[in-house]
Amino acid sequence: MKKRILSLFIALFVAVVLVGCASKTTTEAQLDLTGTYKVKVWVADAITALTQTQIDAFNASEEATSRGIKVEATIEAVGEGDAASKMTSDVINGADIFGFAQDQLARLVEAKGVSQLGNAAAKFVNDNNDGGAAAAATLGGQLYAYPMTSDNGYFMYYDKSVITDATHLTSLEQLIADCEAASKMFSFELEGSGWYNAAFFFGAGCVSSFTFEKNGAIATVNDTYNSDKGVIAMKGMQKLLTSTCYNNSSNAAASFDASVGSAIVVSGTWDSNAAQSALGDNFGVAPLPSFTVDGKTYHLGSFTGNKLMGVRPQQDPKKAAVLNLLAQYLTGQTCQEQRYKENGWGPSNLEAQKLPEIANDPVLSAFNAQNEYGVPQGQYPGQWWDLTKVLATSAKNAKSDADIQTALQSYRSTLDSLVGVVPPSWDNGPWGVIGKFGEYNWNEDVLMTKKESTEGFVFESAPIEFAEGDQFKCRLGENWDSSVGNGKDNFVVETAGKYIVRLTVTDANAKTATITLVPVE
Amino acid sequence: MEKLNDLQYLRLSKWKKFLYKLCMFFVGIPVFFKNIGIKIGRFFKNIVLRIKDLFVDLFLTFKNGDYKTRVSYLIFGFGNITRGQVFRGLFFFLFEVLFIFYMIFWGGGWLSKLGTLGTQGPTTEWVDVGGIDVEKTVYHDDSFKILLYGILTIFFIIAFIYTWRINIKQNKIAQEILATGKKLKSGKDDIHSLIDDQFHKTLLALPITGIIIFTVLPIFFMIIIAFTNYDKTHNGISNNLFSWVGFENFNQLVNVGSSSNFSATFGEILGWTLMWAFFATFTNYFLGMLVAIMINKKGIKMKKVWRTILVLTIAIPQFVSLLYVSKLFATDGIVNGILIKLKWIEQPIRFWEDKWLARLMVILINIWIGIPYLMLIATGILMNIPQDLYESARIDGANAWQQYMKITLPYMLFVTGPYLLTSFIGNINNFNVIYLLTTGGPNNPNSSTAGGSAGYTDLLITWLFKITTNDSNYKIAAVIGIMVFVVVAVISLIVYNIMPSTKNEEDFS
Repeated sequence: MKKRILSLFIALFVAVVLVGCASKTTTEAQLDLTGTYKVKVWVADAITALTQTQIDAFNASEEATSRGIKVEATIEAVGEGDAASKMTSDVINGADIFGFAQDQLARLVEAKGVSQLGNAAAKFVNDNNDGGAAAAATLGGQLYAYPMTSDNGYFMYYDKSVITDATHLTSLEQLIADCEAASKMFSFELEGSGWYNAAFFFGAGCVSSFTFEKNGAIATVNDTYNSDKGVIAMKGMQKLLTSTCYNNSSNAAASFDASVGSAIVVSGTWDSNAAQSALGDNFGVAPLPSFTVDGKTYHLGSFTGNKLMGVRPQQDPKKAAVLNLLAQYLTGQTCQEQRYKENGWGPSNLEAQKLPEIANDPVLSAFNAQNEYGVPQGQYPGQWWDLTKVLATSAKNAKSDADIQTALQSYRSTLDSLVGVVPPSWDNGPWGVIGKFGEYNWNEDVLMTKKESTEGFVFESAPIEFAEGDQFKCRLGENWDSSVGNGKDNFVVETAGKYIVRLTVTDANAKTATITLVPVE
Repeated sequence: MEKLNDLQYLRLSKWKKFLYKLCMFFVGIPVFFKNIGIKIGRFFKNIVLRIKDLFVDLFLTFKNGDYKTRVSYLIFGFGNITRGQVFRGLFFFLFEVLFIFYMIFWGGGWLSKLGTLGTQGPTTEWVDVGGIDVEKTVYHDDSFKILLYGILTIFFIIAFIYTWRINIKQNKIAQEILATGKKLKSGKDDIHSLIDDQFHKTLLALPITGIIIFTVLPIFFMIIIAFTNYDKTHNGISNNLFSWVGFENFNQLVNVGSSSNFSATFGEILGWTLMWAFFATFTNYFLGMLVAIMINKKGIKMKKVWRTILVLTIAIPQFVSLLYVSKLFATDGIVNGILIKLKWIEQPIRFWEDKWLARLMVILINIWIGIPYLMLIATGILMNIPQDLYESARIDGANAWQQYMKITLPYMLFVTGPYLLTSFIGNINNFNVIYLLTTGGPNNPNSSTAGGSAGYTDLLITWLFKITTNDSNYKIAAVIGIMVFVVVAVISLIVYNIMPSTKNEEDFS
């Protein structure tokens, strides 16, 4: 008996392997989609029931009946924030269709947990959704998902009984003072997530953006967190972090009702119902305020983004086609409007956005007002959120500007190692010539290239025309921390002419180097 | 340094005695290592000798065997069948056939791929279906399955070799028995012996199979993963296959200069883990004992009530109570709310946001949930200490403290030594208390790059959890798992060897 079961298993296994090999077909048109499809769906808990009705409606729709499609859906409640980690841990057994927050797209593409959209689907996305939403679903120039909402972002819910003066709403300092005076909390999840504390960095004018290869690997990074602006941002953040009213939370329902209740909660549209029922008549909503550092005022920025719906890569092309049709239906105008009415999710669909009740919604208005200072959320590598998260903790613990700078520098160097940028070093460069010669006046580095040599580490510039008395120095990584001249002084050119500047690093550890001028004919 | 005899030693002054002991300690170090070296040498020598014996035996059996024995080297059970032990012989033969069948159809394939863990990742192509162009994905090799079935195949091969060896041994024994003119056991006898003199094998067959499948294989698998690059960018089937990387992951964890600061984070978390295990174990131990002594004291009324109150914390599931306490002490939680209302404090106390305060809090809360267990254990043991010991101590004029130090504590330590060790080990892996109270927080800015965003109260085990669930970094998680094992094993071995309970069984009986 046991052996029979075993042989049954073996036979089954062989069959699976054979089928796996045999289904290798070439591109061909299969027109008939008739059939019943079992589909696993992950959506947020709040919309599971709604999604079931919407799928039933899809089954009854012209699109499905004319093709003979019937979808049997199993709907599981998986939040948009958890979908990516759940999917990447086991792609094969993941949901066929799933909603996720746009910041997870890079992770999903990297794990091949979401399939690329075809031309027909791409046209659907671009025609029906706002530009930001379509961009949010794009990675490495390719569309990967269907936008569900254009409302991912944050602003303030506040208690009108505490913040009585509406003019205070524009100033972080005054809001902090109001909260402290009333012994109420100011909930802003700065330490919990880089997503929230980016408000201060973007407000101060920092940027941080990544571009990705098609396989989801990081291609380039443009990040100015480690700058004077970053210091301003952290100093602004420090005001709230070190205030007695600071509370590290973004949960409106819990924070407004907590024992030490909050007067302000920075959160998003998903909390609008919770905030309204917690505050009742005192419910207020507004864009984020401004903060002042060293006499200058900066309006807090924010991330603006979308919720997306993705389709898992499929082995059966017919099912893939059906899933695409279903996803298009679920992210179409009707379904988006239904989600607005039931849950207050702001649509990404252009037609739905024009609906008067949506256009005049107070919460969406606050979201849109904050959007003027918002940065469309591109794609970030998973570690970026961990890295920026702790910047708030560093700001809270910082005792001086130097501490802040150290934290930002360490952020930058770990970011570089993440992306694979090698930090500047004496033996590897990059060295540059900076000084007063030709068109330059101590304003820009002329980069030098590393040469093969047996004498040590040799770097050479391109030929430069020098006049007599021109002065220059060589410096490492466009930074004055490491520089070489004639000893500590500038190198002075004695005879005019065309030279190659040659830097010979004799000992990289002891940081000694000499400069020689090589005449060019 | 010469070794002194007892008389010479006793004649030394106090200071010189200390010096002598110190010298002897350092003199002892090389001897200690020499002894270890000798032991290891002896161990390997033994192994080599046994392997040699095995081959000699195989050779001699072949040389002295008849044709039945010799054919059995190739065809399992041949000797058994021809000598009349058909049941046994068929059993061996079937096993061989099954093995060969398995190796040809599956095992060989898995084994040949085990070296590379697969060569072809998934492929995609565009297919036009009813006017909709969709991406079709085909999955090819699955590194995970190759690794798993490859290991299973190796286990199977080992079992095969072992069976082969038994098969030959049986021939040798059968030949010897026949030579003395006795009869061999029949199939009926074999079955009968399974419920008679071989009954232990019948009983143990199921548990051992279970242990191999559910414990040994997963542990072995986990250890093997530490030598691959299995992580989110190499998940083995849907994006990239994973492959062997040797000791690179271990290197990452111990290499101080590497770009990801795994080593620094590991060091910091290991330090706190040991600190936590120490405090969590001993605070519970001594405070629990203290509570038990207090309740046991003569003249204390309502002993049962006190015990019941304490035991109530056990009755509520830790899961619930810990999550609740975590919320209780939140910055905007009830504790702060009440304290502010009572005007004891002006501003909320940030229990979970400061490194040392958070660490103190987890230890204190652990005391609250840990004392009842200790109290129960200690109550039983305390009642068991002979009262005449205390009586005679009192007559000799010993005060309470002296009685405790000389009678109660040694007795407790003797009886609860093994418990103390297991609870220390348990605290090293105390996931619940830490994760439910703080989820590892507050953030540690210095270890943000190491993956899993480790915090100040993270233990190795919670860090491991974060690394696997947040980062899907299975390779490093496997390495950390091995490291936790090493730490636990070293501590257990040392403590177990110096524990009085395992040495002087007679002491307190």
